[in-house]
Amino acid sequence: MQRIEVLGPGCTRCKETYRVVQHVVETAGLQVELVKDESYERMAALGLMATPGIAIDGKVVVSGRIPKAEEVRHLLGIS
Amino acid sequence: MTTIPDTESKPPELTQDRPLLRLAGGILAAAIAIALYTQLARIAEFITYSVIRLARGSHLGSAVEFFLYEVPKVLLLLVGVVFVVGLLRTWLTPERARRFLAGKRESTGNVVAALVGIATPFCSCSAVPLFIGFISAGVPLGVTLSFLISAPMVNEVALVLLFGLFGWKVAALYLGTGLTIAIVAGWTIGRLKMERHVEPWVYTMQAGEAPEGAPKLWSERFAEARAAVREIVGKVWPYVVLGIAVGAGIHGYVPTNFLASFMGKDAWWAVPLAVVLGVPMYSNAAGIIPIVQALLGKGAALGTVLAFMMSVIALSLPEMIILRKVLRPVLIATFVATVAAGILVVGFLFNAVL
Repeated sequence: MQRIEVLGPGCTRCKETYRVVQHVVETAGLQVELVKDESYERMAALGLMATPGIAIDGKVVVSGRIPKAEEVRHLLGIS
Repeated sequence: MTTIPDTESKPPELTQDRPLLRLAGGILAAAIAIALYTQLARIAEFITYSVIRLARGSHLGSAVEFFLYEVPKVLLLLVGVVFVVGLLRTWLTPERARRFLAGKRESTGNVVAALVGIATPFCSCSAVPLFIGFISAGVPLGVTLSFLISAPMVNEVALVLLFGLFGWKVAALYLGTGLTIAIVAGWTIGRLKMERHVEPWVYTMQAGEAPEGAPKLWSERFAEARAAVREIVGKVWPYVVLGIAVGAGIHGYVPTNFLASFMGKDAWWAVPLAVVLGVPMYSNAAGIIPIVQALLGKGAALGTVLAFMMSVIALSLPEMIILRKVLRPVLIATFVATVAAGILVVGFLFNAVL
């Protein structure tokens, strides 16, 4: 099962990013583990330096911006 | 090439359909925007005096004309510059900046960090992960702080507003002095050897490096730049409109030289007061510049005005609170004091020279 992490210290942009990812996962009925991580330790470990960020299976795929739903679908391999 | 009828399910940014058509559309839009930009003064004059029929030389006419000219001008400039900077940022990521700065020595590092800070995306909620990322990669503390001062202070929104409302000279002065403050303040803190005032847990962090993704397509870069315009302009436009509205009121109704007595060159205390007033003001930077522009027209001194803007943008209370997670109070106080001292020097210098 894929593990999707949405990373950010809890600002509005991070919440918006989580909402976008959640929406995509739910509408596609995807079986994934979706977590929101607000710890700086995790961001440092992943090498993420701009928030919001998204990591799939421990690999940063989005950093420092709110992605659009289409991009998230593409990243998760739904098209 | 076949066309897919269902456009809803197709990710438009990720397909390479008709790139030439898109490019042509973009160039056409830019051409229309530039043509419109050159005619804005005439359009504003025409609407104010021929359509609304306000009296020429009246307070209201002057305020309305100012508003109708400045709002579309600043918004057009903002869209253009944010788009271009958004495009540049698809190359200049914080990860690249870090890799670049990790091998630099202190003095060169401060200069490069301040320059890199201009175009690197930054929001104050990124300050902590960025700080940890830089420190853990071996970027010296002073160099990291040069970056953290420059990134929010010297940004494209402030520069656009300054250019649009004050002209290129003031924008260049702001850019030059802002960079100088970032370089000198960061270098000074580096000399003070304050590493022990960083929260110790920062040094125990296991720092990873985000992998370099696949090279981006031009269509993806353009899509990111458009997203930046939507996000940044979408957020600041109400402040810009409100700021210009208040500025228009000052422009039309406050008598010229009204402010000279207490915001003019002779009032030595105006500069420190401007710095102190600027600290609690934060997200309204986009709205403050238009107001300040109107104040300048009414006799406020340029040094005082510059000091106020820098303080609003560079010394923000919310950012200090966020940075408290990684910096001890002594270091935060030193940071604020060094930057404030730099801003004071800039304020006094311009009041004395101009």
